[in-house]
Amino acid sequence: MMLAFDPASNPLNNNEWSFPLAECIHIATFAMAIGTIATVDLCMMGLGFRKQTPAQLLKETSLWTLAGLIITISAGLVIFSTDPVRYYYNWSFRYKVIALVLAIVYNYTIHRKVAVSDSPPVVRKMAALVSLALWVSIVFSGIFYAFT
Amino acid sequence: MSFHDIFQAVQDTEFFTAMRESALVYPIVLSLHLTCIAIFGGMILMTDLRLLGWAFQSVPVSDVVKQFRPFKTVGLIVMVSCGILLGGAKIVDYYDNPYFLIKMTLLLLVAVHAWVFHRDVYGNTQVIDRAPAIPAKAKAAAYLSLFLWLGIMSMGRWIAYYERPEPHPLPRSHALPVIPELHRQDYARAQR
Repeated sequence: MMLAFDPASNPLNNNEWSFPLAECIHIATFAMAIGTIATVDLCMMGLGFRKQTPAQLLKETSLWTLAGLIITISAGLVIFSTDPVRYYYNWSFRYKVIALVLAIVYNYTIHRKVAVSDSPPVVRKMAALVSLALWVSIVFSGIFYAFT
Repeated sequence: MSFHDIFQAVQDTEFFTAMRESALVYPIVLSLHLTCIAIFGGMILMTDLRLLGWAFQSVPVSDVVKQFRPFKTVGLIVMVSCGILLGGAKIVDYYDNPYFLIKMTLLLLVAVHAWVFHRDVYGNTQVIDRAPAIPAKAKAAAYLSLFLWLGIMSMGRWIAYYERPEPHPLPRSHALPVIPELHRQDYARAQR
């Protein structure tokens, strides 16, 4: 058990290809999750997808969003395991974890409720804006981790 | 004047030097680049999945392709602009990096892809919607698009992991940011 958490014996630290591969899976699947959420958000904001309702887009994308989230978080945990101590003490990573938990809870509670209900446009726009801002900030914090 | 001299001159311009040396601008542009991948890359992915008949089944192909298009266009412009800023700032390190060269080749193939499939697929979505099944050409376009974009993203990531076989002929004109893989190697070495 301890061996699995020792960064020096972690396979990702001992070959050339597995770390970047984990990153690529992380990026491709967060694109799937955030891209589908952003599609619903842009519809809620009235900026596009006028032929569909947010509720319909949500229904069509939710499985892909969920799959994307599960895989990207799994790949993220694998990446985290390469150097847990450094991640733990990094403020950007700490923000990322908190924002991620908030964003997921928000996505499946308030955001979903507003998307499927007949809320006034202002409420819809605000709910979508909060969602977009949260997810974009999570992407930013992932990059800033490497620069702090 | 060699390629190296030309790229050195580009990288040494005041603009790209400032870009490279800024502790804030460089990571912000990189984050924007990744944000575009997240939002607009996700849209490319979903368009391809629609053409394959795996996602958005209740939404016509025309609606998916047409409504994603303006966002993907804007996204591509921002993504490429950020890419030029990031690449230009370190072009001396990149121009002979095989992953960078593969990435540029794949980007060129994206243009070829758009040119080849525009008439029968992306500009012909109403016919696709009327067809009893999604035409093979549309599926081929989707598979190729998936391959190209996943390739571009992966090669982009791998650029950072290329190790030059010989030491760089010139001293590095800038300090590299602390990147995880360097740290990991140090970590592994210290443990041994």
